Amino acid sequence: MKFYVCIKQVPDVNAPLQIKNGQLIQDTDRNSLNAYDASAVEAALVLQEKHGGEIVAVLIGPDKAKETIRKAMAMGADSGVFIHSETDTYYDSYSYAQMLAAYFKNKEFNYIFCGKQSQDTDAGLTGSMLAELLGLPYVTNAVGLEFSGDVLLVRRQGDTGQEVIELPSPGLVTCSNDMNDPRIPNLKGIMQSKRKPVESVTSDELQAALSAVKTKILGYEEKPGREAGKKYEGEADEIARQVARILDETENVI
Amino acid sequence: MSTLLTYISVNDGKIKRSSLEVLSRCNELADIHNLTSSALIIDKDASNISEQLKAYGPSVIYTIENPVFKNHLNTPLLKALSLAVHSIKPLVVAFASTESTKDILGALSANLGAASLSDVSEFELTETGVKAKRPVMASKIVSSVESSDRLTLFTVRSGSYDVSLKTAETKVENIPFSFNDEELKITLKEIITASSDKVDLSEAETVIAAGRGVKDEEGRKLVEELASVLNAGIGASRALTEAGVYDPSLQIGQTGKVVSPQLYIGIGISGAIQHVAGMANSKVIVAINKDSDAPIFDIADYGIVGDLYKILPPFIDELKKVKSEK
Ligand SMILES: Cc1cc2nc3c(=O)[nH]c(=O)nc-3n(C[C@H](O)[C@H](O)[C@H](O)COP(=O)(O)OP(=O)(O)OC[C@H]3O[C@@H](n4cnc5c(N)ncnc54)[C@H](O)[C@@H]3O)c2cc1C
Ligand SMILES: Nc1ncnc2c1ncn2[C@@H]1O[C@H](COP(=O)(O)O)[C@@H](O)[C@H]1O
Repeated sequence: MKFYVCIKQVPDVNAPLQIKNGQLIQDTDRNSLNAYDASAVEAALVLQEKHGGEIVAVLIGPDKAKETIRKAMAMGADSGVFIHSETDTYYDSYSYAQMLAAYFKNKEFNYIFCGKQSQDTDAGLTGSMLAELLGLPYVTNAVGLEFSGDVLLVRRQGDTGQEVIELPSPGLVTCSNDMNDPRIPNLKGIMQSKRKPVESVTSDELQAALSAVKTKILGYEEKPGREAGKKYEGEADEIARQVARILDETENVI
Repeated sequence: MSTLLTYISVNDGKIKRSSLEVLSRCNELADIHNLTSSALIIDKDASNISEQLKAYGPSVIYTIENPVFKNHLNTPLLKALSLAVHSIKPLVVAFASTESTKDILGALSANLGAASLSDVSEFELTETGVKAKRPVMASKIVSSVESSDRLTLFTVRSGSYDVSLKTAETKVENIPFSFNDEELKITLKEIITASSDKVDLSEAETVIAAGRGVKDEEGRKLVEELASVLNAGIGASRALTEAGVYDPSLQIGQTGKVVSPQLYIGIGISGAIQHVAGMANSKVIVAINKDSDAPIFDIADYGIVGDLYKILPPFIDELKKVKSEK
């Protein structure tokens, strides 16, 4: 079994940020492995532990994103592929999917795992775009994976329940973070990751694919604000009844 | 004349309100720009459902009917959508954001070479494409985005627009569609449906959300009692869906459902940004939490500081009285 996991480096969404003249400014440049991709790596590792096989982490990004490949390898991925892109350009899911498709075109594998979305943009498009570009069957929003023989059984969270889907190989899955708790790399993992190979890819063909952007960001703005309302502290019986009355009489929502 | 096409999401033979919200907005934009607004139903009972849809005034309702659409599966849905777009040639295709539409948006966009925007909270037409707003960075801020493609596909968060009825001359047009089982690249083996799953959270007028503070059976009983008094849908934070206490389809937030009820009551929920991402558009927010510094109080209209086990019984009791006085 050969698994590829597509991983992305994302800014830390918990870090403070500001908007100046429509531009997004983050107070730190702390970056991390996209949480959904960490779950995808974890899912691949669990399958590998049971059934064997090889896991390759693939990332498109600027130089500083290489540390994120190390993180995936410290978790246990066997090797990495680094596809270099310039930093100061805005790429959308469409262009990343084109570039990944160009990379995977002549590769052999059983399954590609993606995250279900990027934590910073919540786009959720790249995975199924890539599947379509490669002509692969796919399942999105996976919350559980297991093998039935050589075929993956994927449990996905649908609108009203969970759908269990048989996904033949080669195929693509996008992973929810609700499927597992990604392991924290231990010291041994971190040491080993330094000896694991990372292939750097800089081909004109792949770079050309990046120009496929279809959408652009015009700017950022604050969310229409919600102010903190009134806090009720004191004797439980009294404040509970008071708020209940207000919801009826003032807010008219009962 | 070019048309704005709204895909109508159907659940158990019923049109999802969120897709009527999208259709209503497209009707409005069509009027402004002198275009038409039409709708597309892909379902096993598409022609029956088209009757329900006429009250919302699309100029044409396109139907694609086939038994294969009994349950959601991306392969046939993609084929049908691609066929519909090729024959209708719309300017845009707008979807309500659901797990089923999110499943195919990217693939359809790659298939058609079209631009796509997911989970927008506002949209308008420009000379050359679509301009939209989308919450980003775990919904802490909003980005303004633009596509300048001949065809743009996008999904819209529930609660972004109001539903309005419209009287219009509506034509129904069936698009012939065939599908054989060999084309199914994936196989649906089973659907695990939660028993408590009957109220559609994203459409509920009142949502009670339970968090880690709801520790035990007694807490869950209180939550249920409150929900039944208020005829509310029950949702949960990730802390409780992950622990298996509530079904995963009830999770509210960045990874779960977006709710925008008239009244949201968060019980024992801290208010992590990823949870708030899914409920910040509620009209009235009430939070019950024993920690007066909990971040949920920063966005709550009414914050009740206290132990939920002590607050809920009199709260429920008072609401019962209010109800009985009506
Ligand atoms: C990528 C990503 C996506 C995520 N997506 C989601 C999502 O979609 N939805 C989601 O909910 N979370 C999501 N999370 C998780 C989120 O960050 C929080 O961990 C989670 O929302 C916490 O749930 P909670 O508020 O119930 O629990 P906690 O944060 O543990 O809060 C429990 C609260 O209960 C209060 N409490 C305890 N006992 C009582 C009592 N007796 N009476 C009153 N109050 C009491 C405490 O004061 C505390 O504030 C996501 C996280 C990540 C990283
Ligand atoms: N630059 C990238 N490098 C590698 N994989 C990526 C990249 N961007 C997106 N992906 C994959 O696509 C998923 C997110 O897609 P999206 O939400 O459309 O940005 C991620 O979870 C990754 O699996």
